[in-house]
Amino acid sequence: MFRSNNLAARVFERQILTPRPGTSVNLVRHFYENLVPSCTIYDIDCPDHSFRKFTDDGQYLVSFSRNHQDLIVYRPTWLSFSCKGEDCDAHSLPQKAKRFDSFFTQLYCVSLASSNEFICKDLFLYMETHQFGLFATSTAQSHEAPTTEGAIEGLPSIEKITFYLVRLEDGVILDEKAFCNDFVNLAQSMGVFLYEDLLCIMSLRYQTIHILQIRDSGNLVYVRNIGIFCREDDELFINSHAQSMGILDKSKPDDSSDRQVANGVLQLQVTQGTSFLSGIKQRLLSFIFCKIWNEEADPTLRVQHLKKKFYFHFQDYVDLIMWKVQFLDRHHLLIKFGSVDGGVARSTDQHPAFFAVYNMETTDIVAFYQNSSEELYSLFEQFYDHFHANSRNSLHTSFISSHSNNIHALDQLWCIKNKANSISQFVKKMMTSLPCTCQSQSPSPYFDLSLFRYDEKLISATVRHRHSTEHPIKFISRRQPNMLKFKIKPGPEAGGSDGRPKRISSFLFHPYLPFALSIQQTYMQPTVVNIHFRR
Amino acid sequence: MSSSTGLPSSGVGGGGGNGDGGWVQPFPSKTSVQTLGKRIQKEMLELNADPPAGCSAGPKGDNLFHWVSTMIGPQGSPYEGGIFFLDIVFPQNYPFRPPQVTFKTRIFHCNVDSTGNLNLDILKDGWSPALTISNVLLTIKAIITNPDPYKPLVSSIACLYLTDRAKHDEIAAEWTMRFAR
Repeated sequence: MFRSNNLAARVFERQILTPRPGTSVNLVRHFYENLVPSCTIYDIDCPDHSFRKFTDDGQYLVSFSRNHQDLIVYRPTWLSFSCKGEDCDAHSLPQKAKRFDSFFTQLYCVSLASSNEFICKDLFLYMETHQFGLFATSTAQSHEAPTTEGAIEGLPSIEKITFYLVRLEDGVILDEKAFCNDFVNLAQSMGVFLYEDLLCIMSLRYQTIHILQIRDSGNLVYVRNIGIFCREDDELFINSHAQSMGILDKSKPDDSSDRQVANGVLQLQVTQGTSFLSGIKQRLLSFIFCKIWNEEADPTLRVQHLKKKFYFHFQDYVDLIMWKVQFLDRHHLLIKFGSVDGGVARSTDQHPAFFAVYNMETTDIVAFYQNSSEELYSLFEQFYDHFHANSRNSLHTSFISSHSNNIHALDQLWCIKNKANSISQFVKKMMTSLPCTCQSQSPSPYFDLSLFRYDEKLISATVRHRHSTEHPIKFISRRQPNMLKFKIKPGPEAGGSDGRPKRISSFLFHPYLPFALSIQQTYMQPTVVNIHFRR
Repeated sequence: MSSSTGLPSSGVGGGGGNGDGGWVQPFPSKTSVQTLGKRIQKEMLELNADPPAGCSAGPKGDNLFHWVSTMIGPQGSPYEGGIFFLDIVFPQNYPFRPPQVTFKTRIFHCNVDSTGNLNLDILKDGWSPALTISNVLLTIKAIITNPDPYKPLVSSIACLYLTDRAKHDEIAAEWTMRFAR
């Protein structure tokens, strides 16, 4: 660890000090204490877009046009300007430099959505190895969805959701996949998860997990669907055997052919008119059954247990639907099951929720937990980074603070845990964050809890809108508890005291540069964008 | 099908066919529900006291008339390793009419059709009010192990069973592995 706080002294120390093996990166990150985005340009003159995110490699700033139809991508560049005379540092920035264009170069603007479609501004996933971006457009959501065979009731429907794979380098649309009359939860990328080159999309209405692969060529290729069937060739297998002949003759594929073609599945034919459990439900129920069966060796007691724990709740298990899914690795999915009413609502108190770990290669359920399970919570507490496996593969993203890798974050978690009235309520509350949302955290070093301390109610690595306060957000050094390192103040320089209640701000931090955008929106007022950087 | 109870039955699955012809099934009298409940309760106790190996059953939720049963694929049969769920519905006029049993898990079997209906003599004309749910489960277990190809619901499977038993078993095992685990 550096002995001095002085930047020059630290550079010198770096030359002569040998850090403990493997810790040189951690040592170098201490320089971020000296290099902070402390200079603010208030209310910068910038195009009226909705800014989404810096990509995790810092190469692009992704934004959408206000009408949610175009994708506009910028390259962040470092400010450069010239000034006359000596002692430039003493001058304030020239007015010409205080423009959005001085920090960003527009690379291109592509239209993704046609007239009645809109880009889902929450949805953007980045595949760093290929610099591909995944976007989605959708038509308006309708709550009076026509009941379709195979679709569950009580969920909204979207006429058409299209996923686009865009090469961010030049904005070329490489591939697209459409889902018709379906419902995918696009808010905060909830229904979509990217792990390396594998993408899963949770179709809520048809209770199917679509697994797609992003090929090097930029194609989206269906790998398998998990839901009614578990293996990719299950349906073919049924069709190729005589048993299904009768059904094939009876089924009328005309009403469903659109969806089948669009979603690349042909599963309705074999399921029409049958009441079989879906593939994933069969696995789930037999897993629960076997667990109870094997727990008790005595036949009489076993029957009692099965009656109480299994048959009594059988219909409840059958009625569960899959709500959210994430990859744990290339083979394992973490699936959240809940009741039909429980998913749209945020609070999960009334509705039970369950988590299953599913191996999609062997098609086995590996584990099954209720959301009040303390066993699952202890895994969550100790191995949280494994739930985020996807976003931890590049150098900067491996430093995102979590309670499993950072003592300060763990302290905070324990603090909440100790304050909680009931442990099961606390566990349930914590479990609402599972399955994790893909790429939802900013890898910026200023959110590293071992370097800085800040009010997590006002700002955190999780990218989302927050209510803003009138006061600037303080970033205090972790090592010297009284040393304020920098402040971030969203909104206009003088503003904040006019008592307007509804202020929402969001913060976009560059993954490794001392550079951030703060965007403040006030009801019926123009958006105020501030740039925070190091002069 | 003749009704042996005197009550006009509108389809086997109690309360099923109310829509046709404006016929509304009257509420069964209280005593009959109670005696019926007692009978099913008794069968449940009997089943719990002496459960047949590899199968179990119990009421779904608090509905005594709607049961679920689980059959563990018998060892040595091509269904080994499978867990088969069955739906059991007791009609209003049980035990004078047989319970309705359907497979909720796909099975490759000549006596089970492609929608899960089971062709079993004792669940049709061969039913007797003296039979209990334990007898039914044992019979189902027996027919899983030894299909009856002479009274098939799916003739192609029965045909395969009779002509090429090895092939039949191979397909049935694959079917079990895919759909019944």
